[in-house]
Amino acid sequence: MSPFEVQLRRDLRLGWAGRGDMAVMLGFFLIILTLVPLAVGPDAAFLQPIAVPMIWIAAMLSSLAGFTRIFSEDVRCGWVDQVALSPLPLPLYVIAKAATHWVIGAVPMLLATPLMALMLYMDTSHLPALLLALVLGTAALTLLGVIGAALTEGARGGGGLMAVLVLPLAMPALIFGALASAPADGGIVTPHLMLLGAVLAVLLAVAPFIAAAALSETESESGA
Amino acid sequence: MSATQPDNANKSPAHDSLVRDAGAPPAGLRVDGVALVRGGRLVQNALSLAMVAGEVTLLRGPNGSGKSTLLRTIAGRLPAAAGTIECDVPVLYIGHADGLSPALTGRQNLADWAMLNGLANDDVAIDAALDRMQARAFADLPVRRLSHGQRRRVALARLTLGPSSALWLLDEPNSGLDAASSIALDDLISDHLKGGGMVLAATHLPLGITHSPRTLVLEDMA
Repeated sequence: MSPFEVQLRRDLRLGWAGRGDMAVMLGFFLIILTLVPLAVGPDAAFLQPIAVPMIWIAAMLSSLAGFTRIFSEDVRCGWVDQVALSPLPLPLYVIAKAATHWVIGAVPMLLATPLMALMLYMDTSHLPALLLALVLGTAALTLLGVIGAALTEGARGGGGLMAVLVLPLAMPALIFGALASAPADGGIVTPHLMLLGAVLAVLLAVAPFIAAAALSETESESGA
Repeated sequence: MSATQPDNANKSPAHDSLVRDAGAPPAGLRVDGVALVRGGRLVQNALSLAMVAGEVTLLRGPNGSGKSTLLRTIAGRLPAAAGTIECDVPVLYIGHADGLSPALTGRQNLADWAMLNGLANDDVAIDAALDRMQARAFADLPVRRLSHGQRRRVALARLTLGPSSALWLLDEPNSGLDAASSIALDDLISDHLKGGGMVLAATHLPLGITHSPRTLVLEDMA
C-alpha cells in the first residue's frame, strides 16, 4: 500500500469515527433550506426562482461549517509532524484530506439535494444540471476550505476568520455554479459548467501546495 | 563509542525516505551556529552540536530556553533563523504531542505510521514493538480513552520499528511514565545506542541509561 493510500484509508476511518461532525453539516444544509419556505412563504411562484440560488448558498454555508476541523486534530495530536517526516509529501496528504472530506461531507448533501429541490418547487428538468454543477462546486469549495483551514490552523477564532477568507474566494464558483444549474436551453454541459470546471482545475493544481506550505511549519500541542 | 563513523554513511537505502539531507559523510548530526526564534523572540543564537553513531546527548536548560524548539528545528518542522543543520541518518521525532489520532486505536496508529514510512507493519512487528513498552494490553482501545502515560508508551513503541541507524529526537520522553515504563524506555535507548543509533533528548527527569550521555545546557537568553 502506498503512503497515499495509507493516509486515505486512515482519513476514511477518522471520517467514519467522526461522522457526527459530518451529520451536523448535513443537518445545517437541510435546516437552511427548510427555513426558506418558512421565511418566503409556501407559494411556488416565489420559491421556484430562488430554489437553485438557495441550494447553492446552503451548500456553501454548510460546507464551511465542516472546514475548521479538517487539520486541527492532526495538528494537535502531532500526526502532521509524523507525516512531514515521512515519505508522503504534504501536498498529497492535503489531497487525501480533501478527498475524504468531500466524500464524507459533500456526498450526503448531494444525495439530499433532490428532496430539497422538490420542496422548493424547483423545475425538476434542471436537476441533473444542478447535481453535476454541485459536484464540481462542492469539490472546488472543499479545496478552498482546505486552504483556509491550513492558513488559519492555530489562529484564534480560526472559524470566523476562515469564513471571511474563503467565502469571497468562492464567488466565482458560486456565480458559474448557479448559472450552470439552470441552463436556459436544457443542455447540461454549458459554458458556465466549463468555467466552473476551470475553477476546480485551477484549485486542484494550487490548493494542495498552498495548504502544504501553511502546514509545513506548525506548532503541535504545547510544542514550543 | 564513536568508532563506527564510516559505517553509517549513505546507509539504509530502504529508509531513504526518512533521510534528510542525505549526502556527505561522516554520518551523524551536525548543528552549526544555529539561531532559534520562538514566538518572535530569539531564544538561542550560535548553537552548535555534533553527534555520531552510538552517541546520546541530553538537552537541559530552564523552560523556554529552546529545547523543544531545537528538536523541532532538527526535525525540520521549524526553520532555523541562522546556521545550518545537517543530518544524514533517518530521523524519528517524538515531540510533546504523541502523533496518535485519538479516534483510532494505538495499534492502528502504529501500523499506519509504519506503513507510511515503509517499515515492517505486520502484526508480529507491531506486537513486538508494543511489548517493548508493555503497551499491548491497551493497544486496541481508542487512544482518547488512554491515560497520558499510556499514550506516551504507544508513541514510544514507534521507536523500535524504525531503522537502527536512526537519530531519535525525544522531547520529554519519560514525562508521565510510571517506573516500569521508564526502565523500559531506558533499555530501549541503551539498545538503540548499542546498535549504532543516536539519541538527542530533552528531559528534566533523569534517564537511567548506562551510556554516559553528553549534556548540552541551553542557557536562558535574558
